[in-house]
Amino acid sequence: MTVFKTFLKILNKNKFIIILYTLFLIFFGGFNMQTSESNINFVASKPDIMIVNYDEEKGITKDLIKYIEENSNVVDLKNNEDAINDALFYRDVNYVVYIPKNYNKDFMDGKNPEIEIKSTGDYQSSFAEMLLSRYIKVANIYQKRINSEEELINKINETLSKKSEVKITSKLDTNILSKATFYYNFANYSIMACLIYVICLILASFKDIKIQKRTIISSTNYKTLNRKILLSNSLFSIILWMIYVVLSFILVGDIMFSIHGIFYLINSFVFTICATTIALFIGNIVSNKNAISGIVNVIALGSSFLCGAFVPMEWLPDGVIKIAHILPSYYYISNNEVLKTLELINLNTIKPILLNIIIVLSFSIMFIILTNIVSKRKQKIG
Amino acid sequence: MFIHNFKYSLKTLFRNKELIFWTFAFPIILATFFNMAFSDIENSEKLDIINIAIIQNDDFDNNEVFKSAFEEMSDKNNKDRLFETKYTTKEEAQKLLEEEKVVGYMELIDDKPKLTFITSGINETIFKYVSEEIMQTSNIINNLTEEEIQNQIMTGNFNVDYESIYNKVIEITTEENVKLKNISSDNLSYTMIEFYTLIAMVCLYGGILGTVSINQNLANMSNQGKRVSVAPTTKGKVILSSVLASYITQLIGVALLFIYTIFVLNVDYGNNLGLIIILAMVGSLAGLSLGVLVATIIKSNENVKTGIILSITMLGCFLSGMMGITMKYIIDKNIPIINKLNPANMITDGLYSLYYYETLDRYIFNVVSLLIFAFTLIVVSYISLRRQKYDSV
Repeated sequence: MTVFKTFLKILNKNKFIIILYTLFLIFFGGFNMQTSESNINFVASKPDIMIVNYDEEKGITKDLIKYIEENSNVVDLKNNEDAINDALFYRDVNYVVYIPKNYNKDFMDGKNPEIEIKSTGDYQSSFAEMLLSRYIKVANIYQKRINSEEELINKINETLSKKSEVKITSKLDTNILSKATFYYNFANYSIMACLIYVICLILASFKDIKIQKRTIISSTNYKTLNRKILLSNSLFSIILWMIYVVLSFILVGDIMFSIHGIFYLINSFVFTICATTIALFIGNIVSNKNAISGIVNVIALGSSFLCGAFVPMEWLPDGVIKIAHILPSYYYISNNEVLKTLELINLNTIKPILLNIIIVLSFSIMFIILTNIVSKRKQKIG
Repeated sequence: MFIHNFKYSLKTLFRNKELIFWTFAFPIILATFFNMAFSDIENSEKLDIINIAIIQNDDFDNNEVFKSAFEEMSDKNNKDRLFETKYTTKEEAQKLLEEEKVVGYMELIDDKPKLTFITSGINETIFKYVSEEIMQTSNIINNLTEEEIQNQIMTGNFNVDYESIYNKVIEITTEENVKLKNISSDNLSYTMIEFYTLIAMVCLYGGILGTVSINQNLANMSNQGKRVSVAPTTKGKVILSSVLASYITQLIGVALLFIYTIFVLNVDYGNNLGLIIILAMVGSLAGLSLGVLVATIIKSNENVKTGIILSITMLGCFLSGMMGITMKYIIDKNIPIINKLNPANMITDGLYSLYYYETLDRYIFNVVSLLIFAFTLIVVSYISLRRQKYDSV
């Protein structure tokens, strides 16, 4: 009990750190999720386009604007070059179209006026450019043959109204699942940072030379002491995991009650075990309290950045992914990513998930062995 | 005395391992992580070649427009290549889709494309859009051919040469006649902001160095401070030399980060080296003044003081986009006053304007804001430091 009380005392002193990392998780892991309607039907992606019209809104100009509005999200910004440039840089718009003065008249006169554009160069902007080029191309072809403005616009619209038929095969609502994956990926950072920080601090407190001398001469067996420290640390890990799970139920919602949800829980639980063993290992090699926060940041941030907890794995360079294979976080996050698109759950499809879980468990065992080796060497003091 | 104190302040700062880790090593480690995580984001946002399948039935084989269009768009030598196309049977296409080897497949029935996807997305939208585009081109070809034939019949020519009309129409539809001019800047790499916030962080973290060196001269903070206070030297000299020592240490830290990001990580700060150095120096001064202010007006132990500087720095960096670049944009756009008062943003925004803007107005505005910020804080610290007396310590 004495050990556990000390444990709680140290924990209480450092509750702000735990609250801080949890707030990070809620703020970044919970609220950073994009919400969109479920996708049983096909929803066309729409680039964000801004139209700066220097012409009067009539004739071809009006129809071009209408066409862009139908196929994209038109962004309304102040017509101020700085605001437009900023919006382009931060990808608030993908594409800016400047319709020149007298566009309608010049177009009808067959001058094929040049249109200035600004583009971010990403796929959304490439698509926006396809939209714009398509309209101009069709309009140009008909313009040479039709003189009446009204007839021309009708003809253009008749051609552009030809649509393909689309069928969607997936019945899975990937949106909510990506929410869950995003949350649990971010939890990688919070779990690691919290556990390493707290457990290292506790172990360091017990290793303080004065306290260690006292515990050695006390009547308590060192094995009992170690077991109690280990137990209280594990208890802490489990409680932390439970808090994060409850948070995920609140933030992610219903999907957590499905079979997918159970897998997210198992996966994160196994990872919590692994993070605990890592924390115990680090706690055993580091005894300087001041160094702990540096180590926590380097290890937790490092494995989160390398393994795709913050930036999705598919966006990481191949070289980084290769290095990430040596870290347990990689296997934990891989599982979350698999779960996101897993449609059928049967023995065959969950095999890769189980494999990753086994790898994370093997990492835990490895860290336990390493901890034992190190602590055996460090047994003597003075 | 000035030089003596300066020398020892410098020595004590450099020997403080923890301090050196946070101000020198940690930003470099963080920059490395940023570089690993972000270096590929912008490339993966560019339009990639899309894997698709087309069901090869009679409808498709007989439709010259669709066939040649997809052939051209899947041509490896075409610089505007869009697709990697597999021509297969329906069963094979379904299998490919299930295994996610293709984003979707197209089946042509009565010259109308029917598309099947797993889910919605940008690649799917482009595939759909292209198939519509080809259908629309067919529509134009039909319209024009019909018109041309009618014209010929109207003029009394009943001996219509269909082949030459068709070829002429095809020529019209393939003619490149879209005139667009791209006037956007080349420097559009938004991940640079991450590195700029990092520079801002180092500049402001430097405040901790200022705090530590001031604390050594305050009688209520350290034993050394008690000795310094009773020493027969003017307070001005001691404080000034300590502050100068921490400023120089800080500049070394900033310089290291600049060297590392420029030469190892290839971060682009624009071309004007002189202006960048001025901004870094002014930024560090702002950080230093923050440190000095916290050290003088807050009567608490060193950990609390460092904690305050850390929180201010991290909050400032968060608002200027360190944990998500959009944050800076949201604040700039909706509540600009916050970021106009935020020293981390002044530094970030200054570097951003050097990189992205051609004019210097915005840069100068940021540098002046930083100077005003530093000056105000230094004046406040000066007022509270002078004539400070202790009845008991």
